Amino acid sequence: MTFGSGAMTNSIAEIEHAQVVLVSGSNTTETHPQIARRIYDAVDNGAKLIVIDPRRTQIARHAHLHLQIRPGTDIPLLNAMMRSILDENLVDDLFIEMRTENYFAMRDKLYQVDISQAATICGVDADSIRLAARMYARAQRSVICYCLGVTQHVCGTDNVRSYANLAMLTGHVEQEFTGVDPLRGQNNVQGACDMGALPAVLPGYMPVADETARTKFQRAWGGKLPEKPGMTVLEMTHPADGKVKAMYIMGENPAVSDPDLSRVRHSLDHLEFLAVADIFLTDTARLADVVFPAVTFAEKTGTITSSERRVQLLHKAIEPVASAWPDDRIIMELSRRLGYPMDYESPAEIMEEICMLTPIYGGMYHDRLDAEWGVQWPCAGREHGSTQFLHKFSFARGRGWFEPAEHQAPVESADADFPYILVTGRVYHHFHTGTMTRRSQLHNREYSQSLIEIHPEDAEKLSVAEGEHVRLTSRRGDCAFIVTITDRVSPGHVFANFHFTEAPVNFLTVKQSDPVAKCPEYKVCAVRIEKVAA
Amino acid sequence: MNRNFILKKDHLQPLLRKLSKTHRLVAPVRNDFGDTLFTEITRLDSAVIDLQNQPQSSLKSFFFPQQETLCSYIVDKKLNKGKMEYSFHARLPENAPTVFFGVRSCDMFAVMYTDMIFLHQHERDIYYEQRRDSSIFISIGCNRPFANCFCNATRSGPFLDGGFDLQLTDLGDRWFVETGRPRGVRLTEEWPGFFTPVSEDDKRKQFQAELEARGLFRKLVHVDLAVKLLAESEPPERIIEELSRRCQDCGGCAYICPTCTCFNISDLALNEDSGERIRSWDACTFSGFTLMAGNHNPVNAASERIRKRFLHKLRHDVEKHGRPSCVGCGRCVEMCFGGVDIVRFIDMLTAAGENGLQGEK
Amino acid sequence: MRDVMTICCYCGCGCGLYLRVVNGRVVGSAPSRNHPVSKNNLCVKGWHAHEHIHSPQRLTSPLVRKDGRLVPASWDEALDRTATALKRIKDRYGPDAIGLLASAKCTNEENYLLQKFARAVIGTNNIDHCARL
Repeated sequence: MTFGSGAMTNSIAEIEHAQVVLVSGSNTTETHPQIARRIYDAVDNGAKLIVIDPRRTQIARHAHLHLQIRPGTDIPLLNAMMRSILDENLVDDLFIEMRTENYFAMRDKLYQVDISQAATICGVDADSIRLAARMYARAQRSVICYCLGVTQHVCGTDNVRSYANLAMLTGHVEQEFTGVDPLRGQNNVQGACDMGALPAVLPGYMPVADETARTKFQRAWGGKLPEKPGMTVLEMTHPADGKVKAMYIMGENPAVSDPDLSRVRHSLDHLEFLAVADIFLTDTARLADVVFPAVTFAEKTGTITSSERRVQLLHKAIEPVASAWPDDRIIMELSRRLGYPMDYESPAEIMEEICMLTPIYGGMYHDRLDAEWGVQWPCAGREHGSTQFLHKFSFARGRGWFEPAEHQAPVESADADFPYILVTGRVYHHFHTGTMTRRSQLHNREYSQSLIEIHPEDAEKLSVAEGEHVRLTSRRGDCAFIVTITDRVSPGHVFANFHFTEAPVNFLTVKQSDPVAKCPEYKVCAVRIEKVAA
Repeated sequence: MNRNFILKKDHLQPLLRKLSKTHRLVAPVRNDFGDTLFTEITRLDSAVIDLQNQPQSSLKSFFFPQQETLCSYIVDKKLNKGKMEYSFHARLPENAPTVFFGVRSCDMFAVMYTDMIFLHQHERDIYYEQRRDSSIFISIGCNRPFANCFCNATRSGPFLDGGFDLQLTDLGDRWFVETGRPRGVRLTEEWPGFFTPVSEDDKRKQFQAELEARGLFRKLVHVDLAVKLLAESEPPERIIEELSRRCQDCGGCAYICPTCTCFNISDLALNEDSGERIRSWDACTFSGFTLMAGNHNPVNAASERIRKRFLHKLRHDVEKHGRPSCVGCGRCVEMCFGGVDIVRFIDMLTAAGENGLQGEK
Repeated sequence: MRDVMTICCYCGCGCGLYLRVVNGRVVGSAPSRNHPVSKNNLCVKGWHAHEHIHSPQRLTSPLVRKDGRLVPASWDEALDRTATALKRIKDRYGPDAIGLLASAKCTNEENYLLQKFARAVIGTNNIDHCARL
C-alpha cells in the first residue's frame, strides 16, 4: 500500500469537521449510516460534498458535485483531477518534499494526461473534473471515504493508490479531520485482517515469508510454520487443479458470496471433506459433511475491530441458544483432537496472547477496553492510549509512495450479446448473504424480494414494468430478478444485490480479480436481460 | 385535592428500600458506560440512581415492549377433516407490582397519552393494561430543563398537575412531595414517618422553582403555531422534500418517541404445527408500514411518509385526542441522523408561516 | 429486563448497542447515548439486530452427512469426524490440501485461533476470509 497499512486513517467522528468530503464508490447512507450522519453534519457546518459513483445514490443527491462516472473509470478521473491540480498549482509542495517519495515519476505521468480525453472515458464533463479538483485541493481539511465501489475492480489496488496519490499531492493526510478512509463492510473485516486471517501475513501484518516474523510466532506456538503464502478465498473456491481437498469454513457463505457461483459450488461439492460452523444452515453448510451450530454475537464474549480501528468488547447477553458453541471452543476441541491442546480459559486469555505477539494490539487487554469505548490501534501496551488518526508524523512505511496508475478497462464491456453492465452491491435492509437479516421480520417486510434496478429508458426498451420478472444472463450463468425502475442507475447499467439466496447474483459475476488485493470485479459484468413470466 | 409533604433527601434511599421489598423498582441508573437508562434495580446500594441526566429512553418499553409474544398457537389438523384450525393461547405478562422512580414530567405525561391509545373505552389492550395497573409512579418535576427540552411548549412539563402518584420537587436539601393518584396518597399513609408536613416557606419555594424552571428553556419551539398552521393548510412541499431527502429510514424517531405506539403483528412459525404471534414496534417512516397485499402502497414515497409522520403528530392527533402527540422531551432531536426531527419541522414550518403557507406552493 | 452493552453485528461502523434481555431472551436493541459512534441512534439494522437470535431456524445440533443426508449428531461425533478427516487429508496430500476460511463476522479471538490452527496445527497458510466481498 501507498501509506503502509489498510485502515481508516481517521476516526468516524472526525468526518463532521471536514471542509470537503469526497465519497467514492460508497452508498454511504445505506451501508454506513453512521458515517453518512457525520457527512450530513459536515455539510450542515458548511462542508462541500463530492460524490463519485456511477449510481445516483441517496448521498449523491446531497452532493454539491456528483461525478456519475462509468463503472471502472476511477483512475482516469483521478489522474485528470490531479492534472488539474498541477495546472492550477494547488499542490502541497512542502508535504510532498518532506513526506513522500517518487513524486517526479508521478508528475511526469500526470503531464501526459489529457483532461478532456479522460472526461470522455469517464462519461463526465471536463469542467466538473476541474471543479472537483479545485474543491478538494483548496480546502484545508479534506477527507476521502471510499468503499467497495473502488476496490471491487480488477484495478482495485491501483484505484486505491490513486486516491492515496490525490491525498498526498494535496497533503490531505496525517492530520485530524483529513485523510483517506476505506469503509469496512462487515463488523470485523478489520479485525480478521489484523489477526492474520489472510494467506500471506501473520497477525499484525507480519509476512509469513519473513523469517524473523515466523521465528517470533514459532517461539510462541512451537513447531515450524509454513513459509509459502497460502491460497486466497478465490483460489480455494476456484481451484485450477483441484489441489484443495478439504475445507473448514467458519461463519462464511462462499456458496452465495463468491463470484462465478457455478464454479464455487462445484468445487465445494467436490471436496473430499467440508466442515462448516455457522448459526444457520446456509447454502454453504448444505454442501458440508459436518455442520457445527455456532453462537450469534449475543451469546459470546470477545472483541471486534471497526473500520476506525476501534477494538471493542462484545459482552455475552444470553447463554448459547440450543446446543450451539462459540467458534473458539469448536477450534480448541478440534485442535486437541489433532494433538495440539489449546486450553484457553476465556477469550480474554486468547487476547493476552494476541497482545504479546501483535504490536498494534499490544495493549488490547479485555479488562481495559470497556473504560473508554474500546481502543483504536495501534496501541503498543497497557500504558498506551487510543490512536485517533494514523500517520501523524510519518507513514507506516516511512515516506508515502506515489504510485502512478494507468486506466485499465474492466474485464467485460457491453457488447451486442451482453448489452448491459451489471453492478452488484448491498441494500440498506440486508447484510451480506442475508443469513441474519432474512430471518428478521422487519427487514423481510421492508425489502422482501431481490430487485434489480433498471433505468426508465432501459425499462421502456425492454418493455418491462415495475414488479415484472426478468432473467439476467452473463457468460457464466443466469439468475432471475424482479424489476424496480429508478433513475438511481444510469441508462445501460443495472444494479442487483447479493443478499438473496433465491436470486444468487454471483452466478453471473466474473471471477477475475485484482492481482494484488484479489478483490473480484463485482462492479462490472456484462449481461443480457430478458423479460420472463412470473 | 393534592396533599403536600416534605421528604428529606437523606430519607429517599431508605424509602426506596422499603418499597423495593414489595415492588420491582425501576429508576434512571447510570451504568458503567456512562449511559443513563431506566433500569430494574436489583441491588439498591450499588446502583447509581442518576437524576442529573435525562434518561436516554422513556418508559415506553416497560409498558409496550419492543417485541413481545402475545400468544402461542397450535395448528390442529384433525378437526373437520382436511381443514386446519388454529387454537390460540394468550401469554399475559407477569404481573409484577412496580415502582417507577425518577420519571420526568414528559415521560409521565407520555404514559397518560399512551393510555388514550391502549385503554380507550372498550378497546383495552390487556397486555398494556396489566402492566399499567400494577405501576406506581414517583415523578420528578424539572427545575432545570435539559438541552433539547421543550415540554413547556407542549404543556407536558416541566411540572405536572396530575397523572403521577407522587411528584417531587427538588428544594435543595429536601424533596417537596405532591400526591396525585390515590395510590400516591396511600403511599404517604403507609409510610408516614418519611413524609413530614410542609411549611408555607416550602410551598413558596416550590412555586418559585416551578416559575424559574419555565424561564430556563433554551429552545423556543412554536408548537401551537405549527398546529394552527397545519389546521389551516398543507405544509409546504419544499420542507417535506428537504426533510425526506435526509431521512435515513432508521425508524429511530418512532422507536425513541414516548408517544409513538405503532406496532406490527407477525406470526413466527416454530415448526409446522405451532408458532408464536409476536407484536413488535413499527414506524410510519418505513415503506412496509403501509404495504398492502399485491404490493400496492398508498404511502410509498419517502416524502409522503415524512409528511404523514408530522401530520399525525401535529394535526390528526390534535383532531382526535385534542392535543399534539409530542411531549417535548427532545430525544428525537439529538438522535436523528439527518436532523429530520419535529423541532426542525416546526421551525421550518413556522418560519414559512411568516409569509403565509399558501404562498409557498 | 437487563440491558447488555455489546457491539452491533452488522457493518464496520462499530456501534455500541444494548441488547435488552428478558428471561434469557433478547427482545430488543437500543442505542447508547455516549458511544462515540452510535451517539444515541442506530440504523435500521442495529435497531433490529436482535431479531435473528432466537429464530426457529437456528441450528440446534451438529449435523453429519450419512448416506448423502445431513443428520443430527452429537458434538463428539461431529468433532471426531472432522478431526479424523482433516488428519487423513493432511497425511495423504500434505497440509496445503486443506483450506480454511475465517470470518469477518467472528471475533478477533476466534479469527486468531483459526489462523493459529491453520498454521501451527494443520501447517498451511491457506487461511483467508471474505474481506473483499
